[in-house]
Amino acid sequence: MNLVVLHALRCVGSTGLTRVASFTGLTESEVESELIDLAVAGLVTHDRHFGGWSLTESGRAADASGTKAELETAGTRPALAEAFDEFLVLNPELLDLCTAWQMRSVDGVTTVNDHSDTAYDARVLALFTDLHTRALVVIAALAAAAPRFARYEPRLTSALTRARAGELACLADSMDSFHTIWAELHEDLLATLGIARWGG
Amino acid sequence: MGWVRHLSATLPDPPEVLGGKAHGLVLLHRLGLPVPAGVVVITDACRAFLADGTLPDGLTDELATAVETLGASMVSVRSGAAVSMPGMMDTVLNVRPTPGTLAEALKSVFSSWNTPRARTYRTLHGIPHDLGTAVVVQRMVFGDRDSRSGSGVAFSHDPNTGEKVPFGEVLFGHQGSEVVSGRALTLPLRELDREPGVWQGLQDALVRVEQHYRDACYVEFTYESGTLWLLQVRPGKFTGAAAVRLATDLADEGAITRAEALLRVAPHHLQHVRTPRITPDADAIARGLGVCPGVAAGRVAVTADEAVRLAVHGPVVLVRPETSPDDIRGLAAATGIVTARGGPASHAAVVARSMGKPAVVGVADLVVGADSVTLGGREVEVGAMVTIDGTSGVVVLGTPPVVTGGADAHLRRLLEWADEVSGDRSGRGEAERLAAARAVLGGGTGRSAAE
Repeated sequence: MNLVVLHALRCVGSTGLTRVASFTGLTESEVESELIDLAVAGLVTHDRHFGGWSLTESGRAADASGTKAELETAGTRPALAEAFDEFLVLNPELLDLCTAWQMRSVDGVTTVNDHSDTAYDARVLALFTDLHTRALVVIAALAAAAPRFARYEPRLTSALTRARAGELACLADSMDSFHTIWAELHEDLLATLGIARWGG
Repeated sequence: MGWVRHLSATLPDPPEVLGGKAHGLVLLHRLGLPVPAGVVVITDACRAFLADGTLPDGLTDELATAVETLGASMVSVRSGAAVSMPGMMDTVLNVRPTPGTLAEALKSVFSSWNTPRARTYRTLHGIPHDLGTAVVVQRMVFGDRDSRSGSGVAFSHDPNTGEKVPFGEVLFGHQGSEVVSGRALTLPLRELDREPGVWQGLQDALVRVEQHYRDACYVEFTYESGTLWLLQVRPGKFTGAAAVRLATDLADEGAITRAEALLRVAPHHLQHVRTPRITPDADAIARGLGVCPGVAAGRVAVTADEAVRLAVHGPVVLVRPETSPDDIRGLAAATGIVTARGGPASHAAVVARSMGKPAVVGVADLVVGADSVTLGGREVEVGAMVTIDGTSGVVVLGTPPVVTGGADAHLRRLLEWADEVSGDRSGRGEAERLAAARAVLGGGTGRSAAE
């Protein structure tokens, strides 16, 4: 049973092959064959109508016990929790930056950033780059506790590189944006550490 | 002169020295309004601390001596820079006024000037990094002292419409920090009439401050055992249709001239006058923070799966405690989103804007169940029709009337004044008409005079 693919669905949510492949670094055909095995085991289901894959309740439970066992075997829960605290310091700043990329204040009015002011965009992009540098330190600490977190480094770097090359949606506005990957990382940490989101 | 000043009506220093918060408190003193006794540590002290990493010589003793005169058993220690940096810096409540404890609280607030997030905020907003923050130390007042205590925030006009009616939120039996955090269940400000003395005092204060600013105002307040205290004040900073209505009403009252009214409304505000809005008289069942403008009407779905399923039959509003990556496809299928948690820079807000979908976040009294949600104490079943306004943050049952250009009568008047000033009565766009008048008045097309 492949925990990597199972865990990808836990962090990304119900989705198609492309996002699982991007999350795991596997090819889409490798992902598909893993998913079929997981479906046979009753851990995931395929929705023909929406074309995506989802965890079943037992899949969710299997992922939770798998990641828990992984941390217990390695004895790195305290280290991961400590690095998670570092992540939580960066998180509001990253969300501020995404917001600044989408919206800006002109004459005291918050308006959509239409990206016509290249100096403003350059300033926000430079701040993203600076945050990314600090994020890499946190990801290294996460990866030292649980190696699979290393995957986030090339993913975030690639999103930033594309944005710097002019693909403006790659920071906050696409399905493979810096923000989307960051949100998956956040969900991954909550899932791995077994921290429930605020209920309601 | 030292590093510490007593807050009083005669304190002459400008905001650069006192910070914006203390400067506002001095104004409240001048207007004879109730402010808890306090002192301010000036921005110079912060700059010295940031340069050396230690509190300047004599500051701890000077502060302790000054605080002793307040006669308080507990004080609050709050940041307050010359330029507003909301939520970026530390505030320490319930501090014992001993020298050591005060010094630690002061260091913590000073240090928070330089967190990476605060530095990023300043770079984004073009605020110099060397300003430093002042620190206000005041006698604690307790909104949670007893059943006749509470706290809230209030505007002198409705910031959504500009209408002249006190507007805000109140939280009975709680501290002000819980109002601002959005964690607790707040009530509309008018509920404060259950405490008539406080309600009357607050309304009088709003009138007096507005007369001083000649502009709408915002205050934060706490009342303790039936006694009102004001903790912060600033101009209202209205935008869009609310800015237009406020400026024309103030001119009609004679509080400002028509020329000033034209300078109060920047051409950028006019774009927002045209954003669709739920009519102000619609009966809101809940209220949060509008973070992506526009109106969305649809059937309630409480999970991403449900949103995808229901969207086949018509528009859906996704209602969630907060969002996780799994909600993205639900939001993609929905026409709008409501969340219990979150602020303008939350995951939900960022994702909603990336898809251009109206969004209301931070609805404190929202509880999401398995097949219904509770909004403002009312149970709303999955599949029920709701309408949300991503500007004002209101949630309404059913499909209320939606207006575009709600301030039309006011806007028409303002633009007539603009044409009188410019002398140009040719058919042009609204922003051009306003900009031409502002050019004649010397206001240019840039920042509004209200700032």
